[in-house]
Amino acid sequence: MPTLYYLYLSFALFFIGTAGVLLRRNALIVLMAIELQLNAGNLALLAFSRSLGDLKGHVFAFFVIALAAAEAAVGLAILVGMYRTRQTINLDEVATMKR
Amino acid sequence: MSFDLSQLSAIVPLIIVTGMGCLILLAETFARNRARTGLASLALGGCVFAFVAVAAQWDAAATKTTVLQGMWVMDRMALFLDATFVATAAITVLISGPFMREHGFEFGEFYGIVLFATGGMMMVSHADHLLMLLIGIETTSLAAYVLTGCWRRNARSSEGAMKYFLMGAFATGFLVYGMALIYGTTGGEMTYAGIAAKAAVSSNSSLFVAGVYFVLIALIFKVAAVPFHMWAPDTYEGAPTPATGFMAAGVKAAAFGAILRLFGTVFGGPGLPGEPIGWVRILATVAILTMTFGNLAALRQENIKRMLAYSSIAHAGYLLVGVVAVGVGIAGAQSAVLFYLVTYTFTTLGVFGVIAWVGKRGDERLFVDDWAGLGTARPALALAMTIFLLSLGGVPPTGGFFGKFYLFRAAMQSPELYPLVIAGVLNSVVSVYYYLRVVVAMYFRDATRPLDSYPSASMRAALVLTAIAVVVLGLFPGAVVDWAGGAGAAVAKVAGL
Repeated sequence: MPTLYYLYLSFALFFIGTAGVLLRRNALIVLMAIELQLNAGNLALLAFSRSLGDLKGHVFAFFVIALAAAEAAVGLAILVGMYRTRQTINLDEVATMKR
Repeated sequence: MSFDLSQLSAIVPLIIVTGMGCLILLAETFARNRARTGLASLALGGCVFAFVAVAAQWDAAATKTTVLQGMWVMDRMALFLDATFVATAAITVLISGPFMREHGFEFGEFYGIVLFATGGMMMVSHADHLLMLLIGIETTSLAAYVLTGCWRRNARSSEGAMKYFLMGAFATGFLVYGMALIYGTTGGEMTYAGIAAKAAVSSNSSLFVAGVYFVLIALIFKVAAVPFHMWAPDTYEGAPTPATGFMAAGVKAAAFGAILRLFGTVFGGPGLPGEPIGWVRILATVAILTMTFGNLAALRQENIKRMLAYSSIAHAGYLLVGVVAVGVGIAGAQSAVLFYLVTYTFTTLGVFGVIAWVGKRGDERLFVDDWAGLGTARPALALAMTIFLLSLGGVPPTGGFFGKFYLFRAAMQSPELYPLVIAGVLNSVVSVYYYLRVVVAMYFRDATRPLDSYPSASMRAALVLTAIAVVVLGLFPGAVVDWAGGAGAAVAKVAGL
């Protein structure tokens, strides 16, 4: 299969992720959408890496996976913290600070 | 490109700060309440050692070298920024201890996380490879999310952390995707030198240009410039005040270091590879929008912390003028940006230090009205605040004046940039209005309630240090200007690379 197909798929994933962040108001879903973006990046890296016959992209993708895990850990901790003080994870209801 | 252990000497400052951070995390497990002060001393000691190690590398770094498989660049710009980061961390540690004790949420990990963030910033300033840049930015950001949300019983702290985290992770998505596109379209290049060599050819590829803009979006987000600023006011207001100072000074300086290196050298300037990308014009627009929006929004804030959050957005706009000057190829613009970063760092740390010290438990006193009468109640503190605010406004004889002076003087060398300079000067004048509002409240209005606060030697030490630094930078900027000159020369574009 040509590399371009994988790139199209990664575009689609990235677009869905971006739309998810911008449109959804549940913090957990937003977190999922961000993971989708990161994985779109991974897919693009791997597709390029494969077609160029170069291993750096593979290694990069491993780092991104570790990074996504670290991000999820911190993000969920913050989410739990917010739920404890607010009893909600809906982003529209979390706006106590003055604009 | 071979590896041997002696190359590790290049990352001794990084090893010191992260090692000390790990030590603090371990020690915190055994620490009782009183011993937490000892953890702060440990962090401070780590900062001092790291500073000495950075200073020791300065002479050897006169010529640029790359170590650790092309990951880590050693030059004076990176060391100059390292020294700034370490100073930022040290002052943050001094301020945060008493603040956390007073507000009853002290925990030793705070100091460790500050050191980890500092290590991340060092990775950003030394990065010569996309992977190192990504890891550095993420180490810094993850630490900053935690610092923002660490005041767990405070609802605003977790709200600020949530917004910062979601928007920050969103920007990371763009960063990773942009890096993937750059990697693919340059034929497998990840080192800055390799990308720079292929940038001219790759600029014909719209995917490459998209990759460059994705990376730019992520970095613009980190410096909180319009249109990616919306997280900053809530995050800066919600975070514990010492953490706000740390983010506004340190994280911003690190992001500007990355922008200078990437967009100053790799993605080009006029007549140099990468110019077809055209980021200079876009960044010029962003700079004007950022400073104007920041200042106009700051004008109508009653909450001092929020006002300074908008003011820090405006300062990112001024700094972007310097980046645009670098982009059009003005010699010395890099140094002006670096000098501005130093003055801005000390001023910002000082200003948030004062805010941290004015409030007390259960009463943070964040509104301008709460500060009435501070000039008679606590004259030294009011004087320090006045110095910092004047420096932010760019009034002589403070460091902020020379920061703006050098920055705008560099930009003046190109007639194309006159609109930017005019916008910058007008904005500075507007900003003096809201800075002076606080000064007027402190000196010319009577206190409505007692303005006592908790005693703290380390808070006093931090504020005296930053106030002296700001005044010295304003009266005798020579030495630091020379250092910034040497640092800026390190990232000045070598034509034809």
